[in-house]
Amino acid sequence: MSLSTYTERFERFAATLPAAEQQQRQAQFARFLSSGFPTRALEEWRYTDLSTYADRDYSLGEALPSNVASECLADAERVVYVNGVLNTELSTTSRWHAAVDAPKTLRDGLIALNAAFARGGLNLQLPKNERLAAPLQVLLVSRAESSAVMSHQCHRIELGENAEATVLLQFVGNGGERLATHVIDITLAAGAKLQLYRLQDEGSGATLITQVEVQQARGSQLRALTIDLGAAFVRHDFSTDLAGPGADAEISGLYAPRGTAHIDNHTRAVHSAPHCRSRSHYRGIIDERARAVFNGKVLVQPDAQKTDSEQRIANLLLSRRAEVNAKPELEIYADDVKCAHGATVGQLDETALGYLRSRGIPQDAARALLLRAFAVEILDRITWPALAARVAAGMNLPSEMPLASLDEVMA
Amino acid sequence: MLLEIKNLHARVETKEILKGLDLTVKAGEVHAIMGPNGAGKSTLSHVIAGREGYAVTDGEVLFNGKNLLELEPEARACEGIFLGFQYPVEIPGVSNITLLKAALNARRKYRGEKEIEPGDFLAWVRDRAKLVKIDPKMLSRGVNEGFSGGEKKRNEILQMLILQPTLMILDETDSGLDIDALRIVADGINTMRAPERATILVTHYQRLLDYVQPDFVHVLAGGRIVKSGGPELAKELEDKGYGWLEAA
Repeated sequence: MSLSTYTERFERFAATLPAAEQQQRQAQFARFLSSGFPTRALEEWRYTDLSTYADRDYSLGEALPSNVASECLADAERVVYVNGVLNTELSTTSRWHAAVDAPKTLRDGLIALNAAFARGGLNLQLPKNERLAAPLQVLLVSRAESSAVMSHQCHRIELGENAEATVLLQFVGNGGERLATHVIDITLAAGAKLQLYRLQDEGSGATLITQVEVQQARGSQLRALTIDLGAAFVRHDFSTDLAGPGADAEISGLYAPRGTAHIDNHTRAVHSAPHCRSRSHYRGIIDERARAVFNGKVLVQPDAQKTDSEQRIANLLLSRRAEVNAKPELEIYADDVKCAHGATVGQLDETALGYLRSRGIPQDAARALLLRAFAVEILDRITWPALAARVAAGMNLPSEMPLASLDEVMA
Repeated sequence: MLLEIKNLHARVETKEILKGLDLTVKAGEVHAIMGPNGAGKSTLSHVIAGREGYAVTDGEVLFNGKNLLELEPEARACEGIFLGFQYPVEIPGVSNITLLKAALNARRKYRGEKEIEPGDFLAWVRDRAKLVKIDPKMLSRGVNEGFSGGEKKRNEILQMLILQPTLMILDETDSGLDIDALRIVADGINTMRAPERATILVTHYQRLLDYVQPDFVHVLAGGRIVKSGGPELAKELEDKGYGWLEAA
């Protein structure tokens, strides 16, 4: 494993930092050098191989001009980063931007890489009882021109007691080869409510590594929904620790890779306190030669009695060469718990397709209707209409007949 | 001539089911096709509609003079063929109303017409739903999702009334219906009778024919039409069964 290009880039980057910071960054980079990129020898990386990244050469991303007008959701506040650099012109607010400390535990080489290079990012801190008036759209744009580019960012969301927010982390980009890593630390105090969306509709040159770690106090409520449509290579780790009684987490997602894309979702719900509830519902539509990985872990600690957890994963393989590895993982150390799980892999229902075609609906349109029907369980959880429309457009899905008008006319 | 079937041979996997079937249907006519189990009645309906899983090995099927066998199933539907399924499919996640709108607009597009106005569409659906006694609320549910057997068959008739086909093939639409549902289904079919349309009723029983009077009755046995006659043939079959024909 060479990693020499990363060393070169790091030395140049470290030289720009204040002396006090250099030492800490050196330690983080040393940690990256000793672990390197994860290989398939690691259980957590069994189906996703990053070893070839050791020999790649990415320069640290610069603030390139970017046109993101078409991605702006009208009813939201907006923070825009291009290649990891805040773009104040495209942002509607810079109130929530700050240099964010790297995570203290460097779980693997990738997190160490992120920590060594990380620049400022989202820092949303809401005090007790405060509520974010409009949803916050965080646009994370990656752009490469002639040479390959990397960017690394740390973000933080901290909601005080009974505070409430809706946040969208949206990943888009274009151009040549890009590597981006994002670590997002989230703390929810007692009774706080966070609706967190993550939408990835990157161009085909992108490698995206995202890691979300949530700490949930008593009675806090997390609704997290992640959608992966584009990119070449994605690894998304989502972990929440239900650390206070009555904490509630609904984690859901939809992945729809095509071409030769590879999308790997790892979720983890740790029940550390009693009377917590977690739901993990994911659906995948895998087409062409794409590959998807889903690993969902539920860990119930000895004190977490009366845990209520459920995990459901369903996959549709649309082509013979598409591949999916779906694995539920349960580790339970308490005896009075309810933990359900199920994983399925299937194909498009040919009988249903034939029925729709027999009514005159062309094959492509019939297929789209059935894909929508499959995805709707997840899509219906998007309670932000502008975002729902953006996702449907990204998936080329037909719209349903609005039923409100039906009731009116039928009445 | 609306439909002309000549020397039709068809197989499912390696088994030959239709073995040289001939049938001619003119506009305005109602034909009943009866016959024992396994005779090929459903195969015939499916081959006309273009369902997958059947291989036509010989013969031809002309619809309004067009070679039907080279058209995709959706094109056949847009040409005016409607197959009422013996076992209508449940499609959770695709509402009945979405199916109806997509199907109606597909047909209009095929004919070079513009999409139907939403208000006109809903009025069109509402009036026909009343006819088959389907609660409009059910139309916002998934296609046939959680429908009873009778509701599924009435839903087939509703689709037919909305799409206004010129050739209606009803594959054992009467099976499993109680007398009230049978009457609703028969009324739906009779509403559609017109000089420019034709109907093929595939059925086991005389019962439906008491409500929908056929012009011709055919007996399909061993992959061929073995006997044709008027309505009186159905009564004869009801009395004597099919044994005497198969033996012949």
